[in-house]
Amino acid sequence: MRLSSFNRSLPAFGPFAGLLATWTLFACLAGSRFMAPENQRLILLQTAVIATAAIGATIIIMSGGIDLSVGSTIALSTVVIALLLRSGAPPSLAASGGIAAGVLCGLAIGMCIVGRVGWFAAAALAAGAAWFLWERFGAPTSCAAGAGVFLVVGALNRLFIRELPLSPFIVTLAAWGAFRGLAKGLGDNQPVYPDSSGWLPSLMLPGGAGGYLPPAVLIAVAVAILASALMRSTSLGTHALAIGGNEQAASYAGLPIARIKMYVYALGISLAGLAGVMQFSYLTIGDPTTASGYELKVIAAVVIGGASLSGGKGSIAGTLAGALIMTIVENGCTKLGMHNWVQEIVTGGIILGAVALDRARQRRRATP
Amino acid sequence: MRCAALFFALTCFLAVSHALGGETEQKIRIAVIPKGTTHVFWKSVEAGARKAGEDLGLEIIWKGPLQENDRAQQIQLIQQFIAEGVDGIVLAPLDHKALVQSAKDAAARNIPLVIFDSALDGEAGKDFVSFVATDNEKAGRMAGEHLVKLVRPRPAHEKDKPRRIQPARPAPGAVLLRYLVGSASTHAREEGALAALKEAKFDMLSDNRYAGATSGEARNAAINIFEDLHLASAIFCPNESSTHGMLLALKQMDRAGKVRFVGFDASPPLIEALRKGEIDALVVQNPRRMGYLAVETMSKHLKGEKVEPRIDTGAALVTKDNIDSEEIKNLLQ
Repeated sequence: MRLSSFNRSLPAFGPFAGLLATWTLFACLAGSRFMAPENQRLILLQTAVIATAAIGATIIIMSGGIDLSVGSTIALSTVVIALLLRSGAPPSLAASGGIAAGVLCGLAIGMCIVGRVGWFAAAALAAGAAWFLWERFGAPTSCAAGAGVFLVVGALNRLFIRELPLSPFIVTLAAWGAFRGLAKGLGDNQPVYPDSSGWLPSLMLPGGAGGYLPPAVLIAVAVAILASALMRSTSLGTHALAIGGNEQAASYAGLPIARIKMYVYALGISLAGLAGVMQFSYLTIGDPTTASGYELKVIAAVVIGGASLSGGKGSIAGTLAGALIMTIVENGCTKLGMHNWVQEIVTGGIILGAVALDRARQRRRATP
Repeated sequence: MRCAALFFALTCFLAVSHALGGETEQKIRIAVIPKGTTHVFWKSVEAGARKAGEDLGLEIIWKGPLQENDRAQQIQLIQQFIAEGVDGIVLAPLDHKALVQSAKDAAARNIPLVIFDSALDGEAGKDFVSFVATDNEKAGRMAGEHLVKLVRPRPAHEKDKPRRIQPARPAPGAVLLRYLVGSASTHAREEGALAALKEAKFDMLSDNRYAGATSGEARNAAINIFEDLHLASAIFCPNESSTHGMLLALKQMDRAGKVRFVGFDASPPLIEALRKGEIDALVVQNPRRMGYLAVETMSKHLKGEKVEPRIDTGAALVTKDNIDSEEIKNLLQ
């Protein structure tokens, strides 16, 4: 086999080569403790949350955006689920509530990014006013006040602001703080302990030596297949990719940029909501402080998976490999009894190494 | 191609070296999972646990979550140690409920679990082997009572008479800066101190603010209630980072030493502040002893000896006067 043809066959498998290398490395260093089938199942289980959120982030990043609010959205979702369960909702409804929270977060972020920040402000202020007045003056007054606020702010927006697109980085940075605050506020500054979580915890149970794969892993795989199909063979997917590649060209081609971006953010962040369902199932409590730092793990997984942060490129399967690499490093370092500070440096090194290798291979492919 | 060849060679080398090295001698392996790894407190626990491992001939695996308050990661760690089949797990749970499922998983695999430092829902002796910890409410009450004594000294001639409440004087103000939401050990300390202060009719200016996980966050939280700090004559913080953050805030406001301040746990900067009079007293647990006793309890259980379901590891009040005594020196090591 000639060098060039070998290199040409690799790029698509880049992240998987990295995955294999990482796995082999820890298998050699830690031996049977790491290679035990039960540990493999645990690695899959512990990847489920990050992987699900990272699939959503891949869609967003491929369309040229970014989401820094993943961790906060996951925490918000666990709190919403716990509150719903505590108020007597059945587990399925509570889980849907968690995903719906993700969708709402995504819509809010999408609105701000595509330039409807004024309408978002109007809706948020109206909801805030209604909530503030609810207990003092009852439902009709507060609803009327909310509608009034919405009309006034909306009119001001129509007169003075109109369209005002904002950078996804800034919007999701704001959301990163705001959603975390919202989660803490909803939880009254502490974890929410539901009386019973029904079947929800069984999504993430590790199972014994001869057990099956946890349902959450199967859900993550199913989501990955659906998302892959969506990006490849629906107009929404190809259009999103086109926007990520060159937004101006896509706009000249007549694509409804704003609408597609709204869909992308609602869809992508709904998966953060789903990841929140898994996180809740893991914790069995609604924890407003959970998943902090996950946004960076998620972005690392997407980038290791071969996506470009400037958009237009990426793969769902690669992201799954990236997420698995992150978990394997964590798991393997524990098996080796490494100190936390060593583990953090190793993780950083592997992110840098994996991406550098991938880019180097691509450059060699581009210049034959 | 070169890359792949290199990788292959490395893999072969590692596989061979691993096969030759083989498994190390079979010692009893005990995983000790703290709440975090960066506080001085956990360093002392680690020292105690490792000492016990040395004395009793056990292999101690010390591994905490990367972030101090990451419940999910603590669950991940336990799952890994269960899957690995360690002989025993010694755990300081970050949450009294979120870790319950993990305790059940360990029980299902017949891996004994000793809980230390913070409580876990369930019955000690049945759901897990034993609960080894400071009686935190008692320790918090000790701090609260000391504050009362500092702010309202009783005249010498009344020492032996029962305390009377003097209604003429206005109630002195007190501030309690809580640590983290959902942390059971610090919550018990907060409630103990709060009870002592309320019994002495102190006016609680602020008792619902949380310091957060690091002293930096605690400093900000303290600065945010600076009006209360200016009015307060007594302040209590329930752990090392909140005490340190409060100390920094008081220094910034030029209130250090002018207000009676009792903290919890010790670290070099806190000891220095105690010597300078910026802190009036520190309630210290015995983290070394806690780490030692937790591992020793596990070892006893593994040998089939009967162990107490509740083991108090004690707390002491450190002041400027007793800081150089032998007893306290041992505690502060």
